[in-house]
Amino acid sequence: MSPKQLETHYDAVIVGAGAAGLSAALGLLRSEAYEAMRAEGREPDILVVSKLQPLRSHTGSAEGGIAASLGNIEHDDWHWHLYDTIKGGDWLVDQDMAAILAEEAPRTVIGLEHDGVAFSRNEDGTIAQRLFGGHTARFGEQPVHRTAYAADRIGHQILHSLWQQCVKERVRFAEEWYVSDLVVTRGDSGAAKVRGLVVLDTHSGKVHGIHADNVVLATGGAGRLFHTTSNSWDLTGDGMALALEAGLQLEDIEFVQFHPTGLAHTGILLSEAARGEGGRLLNADGEHFMDRYAPGHGDLAARDVVSRSIMAEVDAGRGVADPKDPDGPKDCVWLDLRALGRDTLKSKLPEVYETVRQYAGLDPAEDLVPIKPTAHYTMGGIPIGADGNVYEFSDGARHGVDGLFAAGECSCVSVHGANRLGANSLLDACLFGTRTGRSLAARIAESRDVDEDAYQTVDEAATRREHAIKALLAGAPQDAADTGDADAGADNAYRLMADLGALMERAAAVRCSHDTLTEAQAAIERDLLPRAERLTAHSDTAAFNQEVTAIMEVRHLLVVAQTMLSAADARHESRGALFRTDYPSRDDGRFLAHSMVGKSQEVLWQPVTITDYPPKARAY
Amino acid sequence: MTIAAAERMLSVTLRVARFTPKPERPGRRRGGSPFGSKSPFGGDGSESRSNRVRGKRWSQDYTVLAHADDSVLDCLLAVKRDQDPSLAFRYSCGHGMCGSDAVAINGTPTLLCTAKVRDWARPDSPEYANEDGFRPTGEPLDSSEHAIDLDALAPDTPLVIELAALPGFPTRRDLIADIDPMLDQIRRLKPYLEAKNELKTTAEGKVNVFEYLQHPDELARYELLSNCIACGVCEGSCPVYAGGEAFVGPAAMIMSSRFLNDSRDAAFQARLTALMGPDGSAACQSVRACSMHCPKGIDVGEELWQTIQKVDAAKAQLQ
Repeated sequence: MSPKQLETHYDAVIVGAGAAGLSAALGLLRSEAYEAMRAEGREPDILVVSKLQPLRSHTGSAEGGIAASLGNIEHDDWHWHLYDTIKGGDWLVDQDMAAILAEEAPRTVIGLEHDGVAFSRNEDGTIAQRLFGGHTARFGEQPVHRTAYAADRIGHQILHSLWQQCVKERVRFAEEWYVSDLVVTRGDSGAAKVRGLVVLDTHSGKVHGIHADNVVLATGGAGRLFHTTSNSWDLTGDGMALALEAGLQLEDIEFVQFHPTGLAHTGILLSEAARGEGGRLLNADGEHFMDRYAPGHGDLAARDVVSRSIMAEVDAGRGVADPKDPDGPKDCVWLDLRALGRDTLKSKLPEVYETVRQYAGLDPAEDLVPIKPTAHYTMGGIPIGADGNVYEFSDGARHGVDGLFAAGECSCVSVHGANRLGANSLLDACLFGTRTGRSLAARIAESRDVDEDAYQTVDEAATRREHAIKALLAGAPQDAADTGDADAGADNAYRLMADLGALMERAAAVRCSHDTLTEAQAAIERDLLPRAERLTAHSDTAAFNQEVTAIMEVRHLLVVAQTMLSAADARHESRGALFRTDYPSRDDGRFLAHSMVGKSQEVLWQPVTITDYPPKARAY
Repeated sequence: MTIAAAERMLSVTLRVARFTPKPERPGRRRGGSPFGSKSPFGGDGSESRSNRVRGKRWSQDYTVLAHADDSVLDCLLAVKRDQDPSLAFRYSCGHGMCGSDAVAINGTPTLLCTAKVRDWARPDSPEYANEDGFRPTGEPLDSSEHAIDLDALAPDTPLVIELAALPGFPTRRDLIADIDPMLDQIRRLKPYLEAKNELKTTAEGKVNVFEYLQHPDELARYELLSNCIACGVCEGSCPVYAGGEAFVGPAAMIMSSRFLNDSRDAAFQARLTALMGPDGSAACQSVRACSMHCPKGIDVGEELWQTIQKVDAAKAQLQ
């Protein structure tokens, strides 16, 4: 569904239609401020632009659950949730923001239930809750049932329920529209203000400039930076790249969570429950190696610990090849589920059992399963405050970007710190997405006058983009004509994306060092960026030309990759998901701070907000 | 259906029904007078109901070396990378959750990412036909009765998988279909919880802000239905829907059934009434082709039958 005709001006445009974008739309439309505007006869123009049909959003793949101290199984307290979140993030969490997350979590989950989410239930009819790694009672004393779930399909349930509520509220969508430019202007004082967006309607191939007073970026993560990822093909860091290209910064972008048990080279997740139920990790020699790395915790050590141990085994030459590609690299280890028996596998791990059979062609009751850490979540992103407002950090202070907001995985409100706790990502997206929607409504209610001249920069950007896309299409080989530049003709965006994924995986997956990071940075500058510049489409038909979108996506990925490498190189310590082989310990003296890095690659450091819980060693 | 040892490498030809739309001529379709082109019967006659897009149609072969266990999506992604980046098809999560990649494989609607090469590759030769002389195109996956053992064929037998856009919807480009009609029909049936607002009360009898209570047994009545990913496979399989007759379609009816069976929902009667029109439950002919390839394992035909009975009972009460 797309608008028949674009309005000349929008009060707010939300980019992305996953949990964060849809929550923002609902938060806006259900707010008191919006109701008041309606009562006055004022109908603000709101549009949700997304590169996928909303029901295809990657939120739908989330399996485990959403954390909230509902206390439906045993007593729970949001302060314990807060503590677990801070500790999980290796003390790089802004504690005031995490307090909002933990305190408002129960309300958020109840709200989702009221919106129709088919949560699993207890016998008394309340929402069921399960144990999840790192969630404890009494500040780490013992595990607590905190994670609300819907079998292993919580993301699907939340995505569909939010979309359904948007249907009810008559939210307007522009589907399969790709945002190519974020237009931000600066006043004489240097203060930044959003003016709108340039979008490509992929159905027609037409470029539009959209004048907007408020923009929300809710585009998701950047897992496609890595070859092996649990993320869908569409997680290309678009929102982060748009912010960078508009002259803004990213916060803590060096922190990427790798889930230890991706199914070999597919990257598809095998749930943590596989190890919880007794699955064991073995190296090429058949050794149960986790006892060596994490005595006492073994296979159930924290995600980053297990991922690092697997990579250490692979680096030591004790990895195994994916049986599907027996001559390929020995970069996997085995997950041994054979001892569980077929019945247990089927009853307790149905998704794992089916996924292994379907996507590896192996029988987990009889075969060893190849696994490999898979890029799962970007902790960092576009820096935002408690109400979703994007800011810039300079001269030791935050400066808000007027009218620009962000929510969900593409943003960084700093509740995940250096390593996200399981079941906190849907919570972040829904909770801060809703808050963003509300603050949007309040802003819209305040501002009334529209100065059309102010949007000239949007139209100029649209014209530039239109020419650029025409050039991409014009570069397509004609039916009869000679293609000319054979080299450019041989390359394409999909191949470049694959090469970037392989490069980033070698340089920065799970562990890195100054040498690997600078080598990757040099390879990008020397080889990949020039290749990206030379790319053209191979068909000159503009309608549904996926290659044009892919060219813009790979350019977005490259921009994000550069900042990720720069930020990782500047942090001379290991913390949470970032492990530097040349600086293996945490250094609170120098790096209890958020990295802030823009396209210039200059890295600034913003202190972490600590309220109640001073840093301690993070031991599990 | 075909079978092959999982570890085999197969050389397979993907035969893709391609389509490139003609560029819209400026000033023709849009931007004209908002009044001049209106026909008195509503809507612009030239953009008629069929919504057919003009363009070039052809069949193109791509040969790939694939693992017998690879998905057809893996093969198409390899084609995009190595042979033809202009080939258009939707895909996103790659593991059967997002519902983007419903197409027709050998004429059968199913998802690209869950279809394995060894289940769909078949000998590419005119001699290959069943006893009645027909090429089997729509064998359900679970029917191994007529399966061809690829390992038993001569090693150089050419293999083919035919791909086309999802039937029942206008094709926009190559394997991309316009599924907006399905989403419009889903939206028409108010696919959202209309809660009874029965909130749990405290010991003192005060209303408290808690979840709506639902027993696990009540959840079980609609949980499977709520797993629908709106991929459109059932719609493309339905001869009534894809055949162009007026039918709201199995996907929209499943979405409605999901709320009919949800103990929290208060719009039971209204939902049944909405299905009483001629394009509602009465249009379903119980062919049950919709059940064959549902990627979420919903027995769509049976669920529709249950709902039809509810609608019929409600109708009888009205009379």
